[in-house]
Amino acid sequence: MIIAERKPIERILQMIEPYQKIAVLGCRGCVAICSAGGDREVETLASALRLARKKQGKPLETIEETYVRQCDPEYLKPLAELKEKVEAVVSLACGVGVNLCADLYPDLKIYPGVDTTFYGANPALGEWEEKCRGCGDCIIDLTGGICPIARCAKNLLNGPCGGSQNGKCEINPDTPCVWQEVYDRLKARGELDRLTKIWPAKNWIPAGYGGPRRRVRPDLQINNKKA
Amino acid sequence: MSKMKLCVLCCHYTNEAMPEELADIPAEIHIKRFPCSGRIEVVDILRAFEDDAEGVLVAGCERNSCHNRTGSLRAAKRVEAARELLKEIGFNPQVVQMAFVPRLDTGAFIEEVKKLFEIILKTKS
Repeated sequence: MIIAERKPIERILQMIEPYQKIAVLGCRGCVAICSAGGDREVETLASALRLARKKQGKPLETIEETYVRQCDPEYLKPLAELKEKVEAVVSLACGVGVNLCADLYPDLKIYPGVDTTFYGANPALGEWEEKCRGCGDCIIDLTGGICPIARCAKNLLNGPCGGSQNGKCEINPDTPCVWQEVYDRLKARGELDRLTKIWPAKNWIPAGYGGPRRRVRPDLQINNKKA
Repeated sequence: MSKMKLCVLCCHYTNEAMPEELADIPAEIHIKRFPCSGRIEVVDILRAFEDDAEGVLVAGCERNSCHNRTGSLRAAKRVEAARELLKEIGFNPQVVQMAFVPRLDTGAFIEEVKKLFEIILKTKS
């Protein structure tokens, strides 16, 4: 899922400084699952903002709502009505949601309440770990299901660097060296020979270096010209 | 001068004290009971301050005596999270206190409320 983290309240207060009435808008997608922008986080942030503004002597009125998904226009229709009731919106959706809301309602003053950080797994309650960088050209068939791009500080594709010591990364003694993990995993699977093959240079265009990425499935489109 | 306003969030088992039993504490005390202190959320603590409380006490069962096993431990974590948030918006985090109270021991409960009153007095001086 997409992992996000609430921005510092001071930063959010700066964004909404001119307004007296705002909506705090959550999303029940990824950010709810990673406890950054679901119903509970919406009511907590709204309360904290009201409290902070009360302390400043500039009371703030809030409307609290949470949509099913802010990355899907289908679920953003109620925003047309909501935006008429408030001066601005603080969205706790990931950057995708905030972008889409802003694209669909260009006159809406919408601000991000979270920083979108990575694609991660949830190995234990209250913990999230990066597992994928969304490079668009997945190579983990070669590495035992472990991504060296997301899980190596240097995104190395050809084995460990000189900072790998005792299976740990030089940036942090608690961070495993992903290439040690790849080696151990492949060895256990009897697939070490995968590492002896020369890989072609990685194509980074699908990683976004060819501009904003777009995916189309013509069989699902309603208004595609070829239909 | 208006009375200090305190808010107590507690579970049914940590407090049977009635408001009159807290009468010798010179504060306006609001008690909000929950089925279990583990049900208390960060937002419940924040809303108490929105309602003009100057201090909030979260009271849960003593460790290892919670009906729901870890309810009061969960409450203690919520208190920590609330303190962090309050710090972010310029409050003294001491205005929220957590107490682990023997089940249905009214005396211990009242002592904790008194302690909160003293702490708030100090933070104001």
